[in-house]
Amino acid sequence: MKIVDVDAVSKRFGDVVAVDDIGFEVGQAEIISLLGPSGCGKTTTLRLIAGFEAPDSGRISIAGQDMRGKRPYERNVGLLFQDYALFPHMTVEQNVAYGLRHRGFERSAIPRRTGEMLELVKLRGLEKRRPAHLSGGQQQRVALARALATEPEVMLLDEPLSALDAKLRQELRVELKEILNAVGSTTIVVTHDQEEAMSLAERVIVMDQGRIKQEGTPTEIYTHPANKFVAEFIGRSNWFNGRLEGEVAPRVHRFTRPDGPELLVPAPADPRAPTYEICVRPERITVESATSKTGAEADGPVNVLHGVVVDSAFLGADLHMLVEVSPEHRIAVIKKNLGERVESNGERVTLRFAPADCIVVPAEEQAPAA
Amino acid sequence: MKRQADDLGYGLMLVLVWLTVLFLVAPIIVAGAMSLDSRTYLGPFPPPDLSLQWYERFFTDRYFLRGLQTSLVLAVIAASISTVVGVLTAFVIDRYEFKGKEAMTTFFLSPLVVPAVVVGFALLMFFSLTGVYDGFWRLLGGHVIITVPYTIRTTIASLVGISPSLTEAALSLGAKERATFWEITFPLARTGIIAGAIFAFAFSMDDVAVSLFLTDPKNYTLPVALISSMRANFDLTIAAAALFLVAFTVVLILVLDRLVGLDRMIGQGIYRS
Repeated sequence: MKIVDVDAVSKRFGDVVAVDDIGFEVGQAEIISLLGPSGCGKTTTLRLIAGFEAPDSGRISIAGQDMRGKRPYERNVGLLFQDYALFPHMTVEQNVAYGLRHRGFERSAIPRRTGEMLELVKLRGLEKRRPAHLSGGQQQRVALARALATEPEVMLLDEPLSALDAKLRQELRVELKEILNAVGSTTIVVTHDQEEAMSLAERVIVMDQGRIKQEGTPTEIYTHPANKFVAEFIGRSNWFNGRLEGEVAPRVHRFTRPDGPELLVPAPADPRAPTYEICVRPERITVESATSKTGAEADGPVNVLHGVVVDSAFLGADLHMLVEVSPEHRIAVIKKNLGERVESNGERVTLRFAPADCIVVPAEEQAPAA
Repeated sequence: MKRQADDLGYGLMLVLVWLTVLFLVAPIIVAGAMSLDSRTYLGPFPPPDLSLQWYERFFTDRYFLRGLQTSLVLAVIAASISTVVGVLTAFVIDRYEFKGKEAMTTFFLSPLVVPAVVVGFALLMFFSLTGVYDGFWRLLGGHVIITVPYTIRTTIASLVGISPSLTEAALSLGAKERATFWEITFPLARTGIIAGAIFAFAFSMDDVAVSLFLTDPKNYTLPVALISSMRANFDLTIAAAALFLVAFTVVLILVLDRLVGLDRMIGQGIYRS
């Protein structure tokens, strides 16, 4: 059953179209994410659902009810703000009880419910503290407890983890997901951080310039980006220009390039585009020293490029390398740290990747998908 | 060589700062000393002997006491009105976007820039034309006008510091606009509002330029009374009255400091937009 239904919604501020005819649905207890760069319209979408802005056109329904003209306090929407927005002059307890008081909870039931919520976010014992005396992680949990206390129909999370440092973010992400799943909350996470989006949400909606560029599971949008924007925004990518030619084997096409050897690529997902570009993820490329003899006999067809290592950065678990395959064209490669020999700068290397590792993406000129 | 120049510059600045302090404090010290003069005539500084006679005169003089009473009543009412007006105006300016907002803000703060004499004269003309002849109402109108910029300014300063997400959080938790104002916005802006009110009170007590135009024989403020009596017969009651006002202001400022922290409030209240 769908809880949130956003249908053909547009919103402009003066001359700027913030949200341009977008539509999506969120099912019961589903966690989805709106992902995009700043100014893509994701925050406006969130504010439209919360009722802080009114759409110029289109319809937003929550739990089957049209939200037109409904004030924020007339909607049962929980919000987790980026800055937590805890009331600084109230204790933890008073913060959590605030929504209960205003949503008409029975007075006598409020302390028990507040206790339950603090139990849920593991903050028992801090009831009388003021927000200023809590750590960032604790503040976020209070904000979460406060928002969840009134059992909102939908939870809206605005960049929930971005204010925390990297290590804490990791921990809280897991905890946040557990809590949201435990209460069965229907959730929309708005973020510019792909890791946050992909780790929290079952479904990701990628937005740019007020439009939805792609919608899918984290795996789908990473392995099958529908356009160049999505491919570039999610993860790192290497690009090859050229022309898609005919099939040379079942579902394998030739891709001729003006500045290098041709590639073997899979059939495009969308065969109608006039031109294509090829995207290859850095971790799909293997590197070996040009003098090495091993690995030359791979199964099936393989793309081979020769180049020189121009930079390598050891990051612990991974090794990030830049290999120059022709002047002006550098390929990023990510190699797992498996204790093997590391190619040094200036060394000649061979890069290999299978046709299946290439993603055929319609070139930029193409009109954005409707 | 460079270092010595720096040291010299630093030393000069320190001297300058202390000279400024001296310059500011000296008149008060002189007035304070003279107000305790035991001579019955105006003699040269310093007084040879001390007495409280001038204070006694001040507190028994019906003319001055009436002025003091008017000043206090006026300051309390004017500060109250301008606090309410200032808070509402500041709230609207901070919270809503509308055409001419910048112009409106400037307009509300204009009494800070327009010379008080001009304000006083303009008000006198205005009240005469509109038939308001009672001195108290005229004074009240004038004092609200000159104090309202301070209450607006201090309130805006404290509202700007409140994150809009707090209001939005309250709204999304089911609180209506009015509850949000009284439970979230107002408590968080309270220090700024109190500061504005005390400022308004102090400026109302202090004003001469506007009040001079608006007094009538029955309704006059203490500063106006002091100036009038100074013209008629110059004696040291004025010094005593002045010291009384200084003491009053010091108490007020101490209260203010305890409540909000004075430096913070002065810094934000008047000059920060």
